[in-house]
Amino acid sequence: MSCKSSKDEFIQIGEAPASWKSLAELRSGLRPTAEFPGGLPGEGQARPANTRRDFLSLMGFSLAAAGLAGCRAPVQYAVPTVAGTDQLIPGVANFYATTCGGCPSSCSLLVKQRDGRPIKIEGNAQSTLFGGGTCATGQATVLSLYDGERLRGPLWKGKPATWQEIDQRVGESLRAAQGSGRAIVLLSGTITSPSTREMIAEWRKRYPNFRHVVYDAVSYDAMRAANLEGFGRAVIPHYAFDGARVIVGMEADFLGTWLSPVEFARQYAQSRRPERGFALHVQFESGLSVTGSNADVRVPVAPSELGAVAVALLRRIAAKAGVAGVPEGPEPAVEARKLDDVAEQLWRHRGASLVVSGVQDQSMQLVVNALNAFLGNIGTTVDLALPSLQRAGDGQAMAALVDQMHRGEIHTLLLHGVNPGYDYVDSARFLAGMEKVALAVSFSDRRDETSSRAGAICPDHHFLEAWGDAEPVESHFSLAQPVIAPLFDTRAMQDSLLNWSGSDTGYYTWLREYWRKNLFPRQKEAPDFDAFWDRSLEAGVVTLAPAGPPGTPPFHGAWAAAAGAIVEARRQALAARRDDRYEVKLYESVALRDGRHANNPWLQELPDPITKVTWGNFAAVSPQLARKLGLTEGDVVSLRAAQAQLQLPVAIQPGQEGRTISVALGYGRKLVGKAGQDVGVNAYPLMATRDVTLQKTGRRDELASTQTHFSMEGRPIALETTLEELHQPEEAPEAAATLWAARPEGEHSWGMAIDMNACTGCSACVIACQAENNVPVVGKDQVRRTRIMHWMRIDHYYSGAEENPASVHQPMMCVHCGNAPCETVCPVLATTTSSEGLNQQVYNRCIGTRYCANNCPYKVRRFNFYNYTQNPDFDFNMESPLGRMVLNPDVVVRSRGVMEKCSLCVQRIQWAKNSALQGKRELADGDIRTACQQACPSEAIVFGDLKNPASRASQLHRNRRFYRVLEELGTRPNVGHLKKVRNPLETA
Amino acid sequence: MMSPIIQTAADEGTPGGLAQILPAPRWVDGHPTLHQITDDVVRAMEARPGKGWWICFAISLAALGNLGVMVAYLFAKGIGIWGLNSSVGWAFDITNFVFWVGIGHAGTLISAILLLFRQQWRNSINRSAEAMTIFAVMCAGLFPLLHMGRPWDAFFIFPYPNQRGPLWVNFRSPLVWDVVAISTYLTISLVFWYLGMIPDLATLRDRAACGIKKVVFRVLSLGWNGSHRTWSRYETVSIILAGLATPLVVSVHTIVSMDFATSLVPGWHATIFPPYFVAGAIYSGFGMVMTLLILTRQTMHLERYITMRHLDAMARVLLLTGSIVSYAYATEFFSAWFGGNLYERYHFINRATGPYAWGFYIMVLCNAITPQVFWFRKARANVAALFVASVAVNIGMWFERFIIIVVSLHRGFLPSSWAMFYPTVFDVGILVGAFGLFFTCFLLFIRVLPMVAIWEVKGTVGHGAHRMALSDDEAAPEVAHG
Repeated sequence: MSCKSSKDEFIQIGEAPASWKSLAELRSGLRPTAEFPGGLPGEGQARPANTRRDFLSLMGFSLAAAGLAGCRAPVQYAVPTVAGTDQLIPGVANFYATTCGGCPSSCSLLVKQRDGRPIKIEGNAQSTLFGGGTCATGQATVLSLYDGERLRGPLWKGKPATWQEIDQRVGESLRAAQGSGRAIVLLSGTITSPSTREMIAEWRKRYPNFRHVVYDAVSYDAMRAANLEGFGRAVIPHYAFDGARVIVGMEADFLGTWLSPVEFARQYAQSRRPERGFALHVQFESGLSVTGSNADVRVPVAPSELGAVAVALLRRIAAKAGVAGVPEGPEPAVEARKLDDVAEQLWRHRGASLVVSGVQDQSMQLVVNALNAFLGNIGTTVDLALPSLQRAGDGQAMAALVDQMHRGEIHTLLLHGVNPGYDYVDSARFLAGMEKVALAVSFSDRRDETSSRAGAICPDHHFLEAWGDAEPVESHFSLAQPVIAPLFDTRAMQDSLLNWSGSDTGYYTWLREYWRKNLFPRQKEAPDFDAFWDRSLEAGVVTLAPAGPPGTPPFHGAWAAAAGAIVEARRQALAARRDDRYEVKLYESVALRDGRHANNPWLQELPDPITKVTWGNFAAVSPQLARKLGLTEGDVVSLRAAQAQLQLPVAIQPGQEGRTISVALGYGRKLVGKAGQDVGVNAYPLMATRDVTLQKTGRRDELASTQTHFSMEGRPIALETTLEELHQPEEAPEAAATLWAARPEGEHSWGMAIDMNACTGCSACVIACQAENNVPVVGKDQVRRTRIMHWMRIDHYYSGAEENPASVHQPMMCVHCGNAPCETVCPVLATTTSSEGLNQQVYNRCIGTRYCANNCPYKVRRFNFYNYTQNPDFDFNMESPLGRMVLNPDVVVRSRGVMEKCSLCVQRIQWAKNSALQGKRELADGDIRTACQQACPSEAIVFGDLKNPASRASQLHRNRRFYRVLEELGTRPNVGHLKKVRNPLETA
Repeated sequence: MMSPIIQTAADEGTPGGLAQILPAPRWVDGHPTLHQITDDVVRAMEARPGKGWWICFAISLAALGNLGVMVAYLFAKGIGIWGLNSSVGWAFDITNFVFWVGIGHAGTLISAILLLFRQQWRNSINRSAEAMTIFAVMCAGLFPLLHMGRPWDAFFIFPYPNQRGPLWVNFRSPLVWDVVAISTYLTISLVFWYLGMIPDLATLRDRAACGIKKVVFRVLSLGWNGSHRTWSRYETVSIILAGLATPLVVSVHTIVSMDFATSLVPGWHATIFPPYFVAGAIYSGFGMVMTLLILTRQTMHLERYITMRHLDAMARVLLLTGSIVSYAYATEFFSAWFGGNLYERYHFINRATGPYAWGFYIMVLCNAITPQVFWFRKARANVAALFVASVAVNIGMWFERFIIIVVSLHRGFLPSSWAMFYPTVFDVGILVGAFGLFFTCFLLFIRVLPMVAIWEVKGTVGHGAHRMALSDDEAAPEVAHG
């Protein structure tokens, strides 16, 4: 473990920013080395004499820690208070606003920093775009900060070097490039930071032969091209799902991975509240996505048919709008009546409907634009005036760059936030091109498929260590500030760029100057810039009035030609169709997205929201196809196309279109780190392919699923209702008789309501819970043995025909029964119910008979079958001192042989109670938010005091849709669910 | 039935007359003299063991060694080495526990209840049956310890006085009842077994020439002198202990069944469990007694004392208890159907058609169908048939517990949590190891202690009544010839 190596490695104190109020003391006062186990607890610094105050506060803390945490608080890694500051109080968490760097969606975050370490990501509720929500990937990024695979410092030709050395060599290379007539290229992912974009623009002035190529592994450039053609702007619109009464999605997983899922999930939940209006959602897609699983009407359509569906809809809408010119063509293989109904609904709600498509095809996007234009959605639900800046990749520029690299036209190549050696469709060609570049410089934080071939690696900070800003949607800004001093000898990419362009300012100064010049003048509230800056830094988000004149040019795309192209393409596809050819659909997985987070064990172990498979990808085939080919789950098949072939196990996916095989991207990394290496298969080589053949290999590779049975077997578990039913008069429910004596009641009665209608299944709560409660990662083998440790799981059930079933996602954790079956059977009273309604697990007392888990009808108890922490057999994050830095000191790390389960974040309850007590005020509703509740972008989870009739949880407990799962057993849970509402097309 | 036994030299070689006067002894073949009985029983202990014994002992010891190694590994690593998972929290561990507890019940039934009912046929078999009980309860007691996640904290389960505030065990938990039941059971069984052996230990003491053997038996026989007064007190104590042990036959397995019956797991939550489990316990116990006795009577040449009539009687018990168990199986299915509970109904459909249906049919074949052959006298008179059937009963009863535990757990209320249990090498190894422990103990037992109750068998041959009339020497010890 490098933490144990020399202390110099960790000391990196940049320019101490005087105006950074919040963390200035941290930087100058607290030496970062002190945070490391194995490092030295503040050697050479005199510890102030202990005062009585210190003694009392330490004693109070120890008592609280012992009482809350029980046996094994990881005391040895707590931060020694070498020098106190008024900002850093041991045991008290600080929250800092920043911006997520997990993907270009750039969500605004609040980061919980405890004793100098960021330990938990939360959403920034002040953000007008994202609310307080996050996604699973964003939640997990805090673990990536403590990834042991991160480089400790810059590398030159694979060997450790100093920054001076690197700066000198890169400077030489850049100077040589200027004279050579060959280009300098920065190849980056989408950069949402306006200040960085300006810096890159400056580079263009400084180096005339400099170019910037933006490359997204999963590209949205067809959409940008279509908008350029249709509206004159190469942008991605900013969508308003909350304004839509009818939503039609075409292969766009906007609740899972597409564009800005946190924002969209939030909007979607708002538009689908049964108590307020309920939008109709129709989804056309090939594989079952998170979005499709939430749709009221989901139509399985092969990728080759999707264009025809769009054209068929266009034909109907155009007819209603009185526009002529839609080319004739055969109807798609979808029930015509269904299309009529969808068109009718869209038309009825014109101006308040929305059609989105994630298909990477310009014609398709033009047709979608035409649909939205004819429906009058431009300017209402589709905003092009303030567009989204979250994806800016340009596939053509990338292809051109690869060609130029091969022709030797590129001298210096800078790579930031990209890994084309893994995710480019022809990665071998890209890497071969890199050989012909004089110098390739990567800003990657590790040796990966691309950076390992680069001449220099200049590791960038993790976003939690760095300054930055973002403008995910035009005029919506979000600031990023470091919440920990850099762990390693890394340097911000912007600092490197500034250095190499000869500037002597640091990025922090640049950032401030950029904000002073560009943002400050656009606002009126703050009188001087410092006030504006401080306020922005504290809030994290700034929304400014649009810079330019509002208004969107009218749609003028050649939609008829595009529709004609689609009709023609489909005709050809139909003619070329062969029975032994299948279509392949690649998609981003909810956990790993494009693969950049592959070394994050939390994400590897996050069950796929649909199939519940962890640790690897699979070929999703329809049940019909599986029967036809004699495939069973786990059979390894070979998918062969002209360019590539992959071998991966089969998952039988109800609702999968019959001829389509879906494969997740992001897996099969060859060089990323221990956790992600060779997990699954890299599907990017099939990116340019549609048709594949499929052969059984005869091998088997058992999937590691956390759920293997998806039918409710007619049991009343995840209940549904319809809008009609909700409007009928209510019958008074019968009070259930009980034989149990009433329990003594405390001041509060904690409870929760989970709205299955709002829950999309996105799984952010699962990772949030894992991060908050120190839930261990157990690995593929243990998951196969059904021993996953997640306290929070999302059960997924299907109902109806397997060709196209209805889905329901049911978040399930300990429901904190009033009459808990686990409690009566424990021989040693290791699980008890508190006077406040919490079912508590006493780890110290547990001897591990597992009787409680057997008797738990909800099966939410998790047993430590092995010692999962500090165990070389389970070398994920908890084995290394670095990885353990993410642990929440407020929650005990459980040892081998004890049972554990959801505590309703008792540490948060306790913390809120204490702060209320200290502030001499009553605990207010909303003071306590459990980790799952905080993470949920659609606010499906509400925690509160059931004794307070005004609390939101109480109100939801009185909601008509409220019920308790397995209530008939007499368990009297305090956590209940709200029924899912179906909105069938016919009645909508 | 128990009478002082006085044996004199006059007994030797006085056959005919007595036989004509007295009815032929029912539970011993032929007319062995009392001395002959002692000799026959003690032969196994005094002669060098045969090849068969050594082979059996070597195998058992190997299995026991395997148990030691596996338990050490289990304690070192954790119960993750078993095939258990979040849904199936118990499998082989508790299956083995219930299996071994059940086995023990036959011993107690034979020694206590049959004593109270004056069943003379118990006299030849009670000693081994009681030994079997002790060893089986030892094996059973192993598993609650092994199955714990943190066995080093196992003492938490005892309600011992402590200074941790009012920290007590949960008396509502059937596992606490188990602890009480099993420890009581082991204590009573041990005392009863030892007490029953004292007259025989005295016999051994008297036969032993010198050395350690003599010392050991002298100490163990507690100064037994065979006087009428001793005998009289001895019989009183026996009856009292039998009275104490009798409720245990019913209570222990009732409590074990409550581990399941008081839960809410479909397939466990059933009121029929206590009687069903008790019948099953006696059934499996008699199965095991039968297996052991057939083996020992063949190898130790005790056919004279463990007669075909004994085997016949035991076969009848098997038939009866087997039928009760079969009835319970049927009742479970009936109530699942008749009760109309969705989860219960699914459970029984799953039991008969699910992934573990093969286990269910092994259970039905072994437990419900096999004993039906004992309706036929021919089957009851055929040692091979009896042996095969008794082994089948043991297999069937193990599967019964496996079915009850694993099949109920693997598909509980929420289908999202349905899972499969696949045993690992450690599950199987520890099961085999427990048999190693059991058979090692049993094989040592038949070498060092009289495996047939000598004094009780002597009581059944009828000499006593005859001799009583002839002799006036009350306290004459049998030393001289013993």
